[in-house]
Amino acid sequence: MGIRQVANTEAPALTAAVDVRDLWMAYRPDEWVLKGVNLRVPKGQLWVVMGPSGAGKTTLMKVLAGLLPFQRGTVEVMGFRLRGDLTPPSRRVVGYIPQQLGLVRGLTALENVLLGSLARHGGLGPTLGFFPRSEVTRAREYLEMLGLGDKAETRVFQLSGGERQRVAIARTLMQDPKLILADEFVSDLDLPRAARILETIRGLVRERGLTLVMNLHEIQLVQELADHVVVLKDGKIVYHGPAGTLEWSSFRALVEAEDGRTGVAGW
Amino acid sequence: MAEPGSLAGKGRDVNLRRWQGLSGALALLAALGWVLGRMGFFEPGRLTGGLVNFGRFAAELFPPDLSVLPVVLGALIETVEMAFAGTFLGFLLSFPLGVLGTRTLFPRPVVLAVRLVVAVTRTVPSLLWAVIMVIVVGLGPLAGTLALAVYTVGYLAKLYAEILEGVDPEVIEAVRGLGARRHHLVRYVLWPESANTVLSQLLFMLEYNIRSSTVLGLVGAGGIGFYMQVYISTLAYSRLATVLLAVLVVVVVMDVLSAWARRHYLLDT
Repeated sequence: MGIRQVANTEAPALTAAVDVRDLWMAYRPDEWVLKGVNLRVPKGQLWVVMGPSGAGKTTLMKVLAGLLPFQRGTVEVMGFRLRGDLTPPSRRVVGYIPQQLGLVRGLTALENVLLGSLARHGGLGPTLGFFPRSEVTRAREYLEMLGLGDKAETRVFQLSGGERQRVAIARTLMQDPKLILADEFVSDLDLPRAARILETIRGLVRERGLTLVMNLHEIQLVQELADHVVVLKDGKIVYHGPAGTLEWSSFRALVEAEDGRTGVAGW
Repeated sequence: MAEPGSLAGKGRDVNLRRWQGLSGALALLAALGWVLGRMGFFEPGRLTGGLVNFGRFAAELFPPDLSVLPVVLGALIETVEMAFAGTFLGFLLSFPLGVLGTRTLFPRPVVLAVRLVVAVTRTVPSLLWAVIMVIVVGLGPLAGTLALAVYTVGYLAKLYAEILEGVDPEVIEAVRGLGARRHHLVRYVLWPESANTVLSQLLFMLEYNIRSSTVLGLVGAGGIGFYMQVYISTLAYSRLATVLLAVLVVVVVMDVLSAWARRHYLLDT
C-alpha cells in the first residue's frame, strides 16, 4: 500500500492538519509548477492561499487532496503520508471542493450530496441507487441546514450559482471530513454572496473543529474570514502571516516583485 | 516586408487562409465532376433515358395491389420486431463497450483493444452481417435481429465512447475524490451526464434500423425484404407499391414517436 498512517508524537494542539515539506511537482519533465513548497497548517484553523493566476494554487490543492501525483518532497494530510498515488485512504477525512464544484448536473441536489457517502458504501446498493436510510436522512438534514430543504429533489442544472455552492458544501460535509480543501469555489459569485457562503462554511468549520484550506483571491474576504494567509507565486511561497495583516498594497507588491523575495509576518 | 507578428503580417495570413479554403473547395468540386464524368453522368441521353425508364416503372407501381396487405402487414410486424430487438440487444452490448473504450476510465491497452473490435464490426455493412448470420443461425428473423445487433454495436459503442469521454473531467475527478470507485463513476457521473445524448443516439439507431431491416429479407434474414425481393423478381410492381407504402407508414410513425419521446423524456440540460 502506498500510504501509511503516521504516528503522531506531537501534542494534540500542535498537530498539523497539513504538513508539506519541500514539495516539487511538474506535469511535464522539468517544468516545475511547485518549487519546494513548505506549508504547515495547524488543526482547527482557516487558511487561505492567495496568488496570481498560474502560481500553482490549484495544483497545490489537488496534491493535498490526493488527486495529483508529485515528484519530490513529503506531504502529510491529517496524519496520512501521501506518496503520490491516486487512491489515498486520506480521502475519508479530506473533503475537496473544486473551482467548478464538480457537481453532477443531471442528478438532484440530494443525489449529489449522497455521493459524499460513497467511500463508506462500496456494495451493490449504492450502485443500483439505494443508499442506507440513515445516509439519506443525514443528506436531507445537511441540505435543510444550508437552506436547501425544498430543493432536495431539484436537479443541479436547475439551481442557481449560490445554491450549487451550498450543495457542494453539503456533499463535502457528508464525507465527514476533518479537513476541507476548497479551490476558489466562490469565484463565480458576487462579493456579498461569496461572503455569505464563506461565513456559512466558516461557521461549520469552527463549530465542528475542522480545518479549512482554500484558495481565494478577494483580499477583503481573506482579511475578514481567514486566520492565516499564504501567498504563492511562481510555485513558491513568498509570504505567510496572519490574514488581518496583509494589505492589498503589500499583496500587490509581493505578486509584482521580480526577485521572488519572501516575506514573513508575525512568525 | 511586414514582420510576421505585425498587423500587416496578420492580415496577409488571413488572406492566405481564405485563398487556401477557396482552392480547397474548388478542388473538391473538380474531383466530384471528374468522378461523375467517369460514371457517365454527363453522357447525353443517359439521364434523360433513365428518367423515361423511371416514369414507366413508377406508372406500373400504381394503383397499389392491396390484396397482399395481410401478408405484407405480418412481415412488417416481423420487421419492426427485428429492428426493436436488434437495436436494444446492440445497445445492451454497446454501452458497456463504450464505457470500456473511455480513456478517462480505463488504461490505454483496454481502450485500444475495445476500439479495434468495434472498428472491425463497423466495417462490415449490415446486409453482409445478415448473410453471415443466415449462415450461422439459419434463415429467418433471428439472423436479421443478430445482424442488426452487431451492426448497432459497431456504431453505438464508438459514439458512446466519444460521448463518455466528453464528460467534464473535473466532475469525474471530484466524485473520484469522494471515494467513488469506477462502477460508481459510471453510475453517478458518466450515465447522468450523458444520458440525454446516449438515449438520443439510441432513438436515432432505432429509426435507422427500422429502415435497414426492411432490406435484410433480401438475403433471407427475415422481415418484409423477402416480399420486396419476390415482387421485384416477378415484376409485380403494384404489389411492391403496397410494400413500399407500408414501410413508409412505419418509418413516418417511428419518426413521430421518437420525436415525441425526445420531447417528453430527454431533459433540456
